[in-house]
Amino acid sequence: MGTFIQLIVDGLSTGSVYAALALAIVLVNQATGLINFAQGGMAVLSAYIAWALNGVGLPLIVAIVAAVAISFVLGAVIERFLVRRFERGDPDTAVVVTVGLLTLITGVCAWIWTYNNRQFPSLFPLDTVSIAGAVVSLRSLGTIVVIVVIMLVLQALFLGTKLGLALRAVAVNPASAAFSGIPVGRHLMIGWGLAASLGAVAGVLVAPQLTLTPGMMDSALVYALAAVILGGLTSPLGVVVAAWLIGVLENLAAVYVPFIGHDLKIAVPFILIFVVLIIRPQGLFGRRSVVRV
Amino acid sequence: MSTNRRMRRAAAVVAGIGIVAVLAAGCARGGGGGDRSDDGGAAASPGIDDTSITLGITTPLSGATAGPGTCTVAGITAYFGAKNAAGGVEFGDGKTREVKIEALDDEYDPQKAKSNYDQLKSSVFAMTAGLGTPTNRAWREAATADEVPQALIMTGDPIFSSVEESPWSLGFVPIYQNEGQAFGELLASSGDEHKVAILSQNDDYGEGYVEGFKKGIEGADNIQIVKELTYESTDTSVDAQLTELAGSGADVFFDAMSITPLVISSLQKAQELGWLPSWFLPSNTSSPTAILEPGGAAAFPGVYTVAFAQSASAPTFAESEAGSTFLSDLKQYGNYPDTPAFPHCVWSYQVGATLDQVFQKMTEPTREDFMKQLRSVSGYTAPLMLDGSSVDTTQDGQPAVSTVQVQKYNGKGYAPAESWG
Repeated sequence: MGTFIQLIVDGLSTGSVYAALALAIVLVNQATGLINFAQGGMAVLSAYIAWALNGVGLPLIVAIVAAVAISFVLGAVIERFLVRRFERGDPDTAVVVTVGLLTLITGVCAWIWTYNNRQFPSLFPLDTVSIAGAVVSLRSLGTIVVIVVIMLVLQALFLGTKLGLALRAVAVNPASAAFSGIPVGRHLMIGWGLAASLGAVAGVLVAPQLTLTPGMMDSALVYALAAVILGGLTSPLGVVVAAWLIGVLENLAAVYVPFIGHDLKIAVPFILIFVVLIIRPQGLFGRRSVVRV
Repeated sequence: MSTNRRMRRAAAVVAGIGIVAVLAAGCARGGGGGDRSDDGGAAASPGIDDTSITLGITTPLSGATAGPGTCTVAGITAYFGAKNAAGGVEFGDGKTREVKIEALDDEYDPQKAKSNYDQLKSSVFAMTAGLGTPTNRAWREAATADEVPQALIMTGDPIFSSVEESPWSLGFVPIYQNEGQAFGELLASSGDEHKVAILSQNDDYGEGYVEGFKKGIEGADNIQIVKELTYESTDTSVDAQLTELAGSGADVFFDAMSITPLVISSLQKAQELGWLPSWFLPSNTSSPTAILEPGGAAAFPGVYTVAFAQSASAPTFAESEAGSTFLSDLKQYGNYPDTPAFPHCVWSYQVGATLDQVFQKMTEPTREDFMKQLRSVSGYTAPLMLDGSSVDTTQDGQPAVSTVQVQKYNGKGYAPAESWG
């Protein structure tokens, strides 16, 4: 029993890492209609900025807040001067641009900070508590709590605020939004800026666990994209639940399903995606898109 | 109509690429060696003339393995950079040559490694130092067929060190089996009862370590393997495996991993679970500053590794003469400003020094003579080697370095461990 609960708790903790990145992807998508493949790279860059600021003497929490702010500006600048040129064109081109951006950012991080692993200090103490026979680290608990808070804030932003509504309107139909008096360009910049800030939070949450390297988020990005598809591109709540589901099911399948084992567990999220997409093409929590003719 | 035009344009592009490829192949053939020169001596192989020699490297310079990969290029570039600055390398034929290095990124992708090799094979004299088992395997057969040296590469796969199987190849670092066996033998010789849990990478790397370990404990009835699990090198977490292994009650943990962040997180996870066995770590993931300190390894009764080279991140390294020379060469010529967190910088620096030995023995500027001399280095102590280890390329079936020392972590660096405990 102890092992079972431990595996669930570990799965939630790993899933939270995927969820953090998945939320940033949903945010960009909700605000601009794009899937940003560079999200992982941008999160790593933000984490490096926080690490560097901490290194020159700023207290960790101040360094993180500063990195979040700098990331907002960076995200907005990237949207304004790079991505905007491709937003109205072929969506495939925009995807290629974000993939290129990922390669570029990874290269820049490696050029500045090399590929040596950097130890990123954890926001939470390394102590553990015992819950129902399972050992839970405060770091994992802290990560889970932060993710839940961000999820609720985003959910509220999109569903209950004017800004959220405007962001969604701009993403769905920029021309109509412009006719309604919404400054489209500014909202696209805000969307990217917010997503970059969120990426920064994801980066500093994950970095202590994975150690900071330019490719830190590469594997997590695959899982995050899986969570986005599984949870539904339009739902912050959905992607977090999906990310946790992936983390937990992966662990349980590895230990309790003999033919899967630890070697095949990476297949679990993808089998899950196939099954869900056949039954609910919009994902677990996503809205079906309806086109009026 | 537009589809037709697009088809035609695509066909034109394909045809264009085809013509370029045929021309390139023709040029490549023109560079082949092996003929006799006018003065009766052996004609020089490609990539060498009277004043310079060019070596090729294919290794990961981006992606998950980029850390060790960039270190690999930095180490050998540092060695020959310093040599070139001091006038060049003196060859056995009486000529002094500058050593040039051309390194290409393969991203740890076998297909890219093969295409890098194809790109380099006719312009470089020999390929060397590149890191990775699947990547080096991808072009081993081609190198054999083309008679291009694949010299002193960074892989512990024994296939590269068998003259019969790989006549044009030779590995540098000890084969994984040697490391696993050394540890198994030390544990078996303790005489105490031990329960061992094993977590290994699900490929040749992990299998080699486990095979060697099992050979080392063969016949020892005091050692029992209680649980064996594997992980994929693409995994982001091994927490589930650690949870399962902690339940096995093992007092010794053999963690045959090659992925740095996963080793750190497994050290941390075991502590969280309150499981404190003695650890064994492979030589390439046992750096004191990059792995053991952040992982909090001091909490365990003993952390062991095997090594043949000094660790650049050990506290006393920079104070020694050889260590400070290495670090300044690495900074000045290897374009690597930091103290490396990976051992691969030191290893490839040693590859440079070993190649230097081989060059000094070469009396003809040919790949054939190079291979002959490559297999004749014996008892050579390369810079930064641990006492008791040396380069010996004369033993068939063994890489250039096959003697390893088991070491124990002392909270800062490593000290030799002659016995368990």
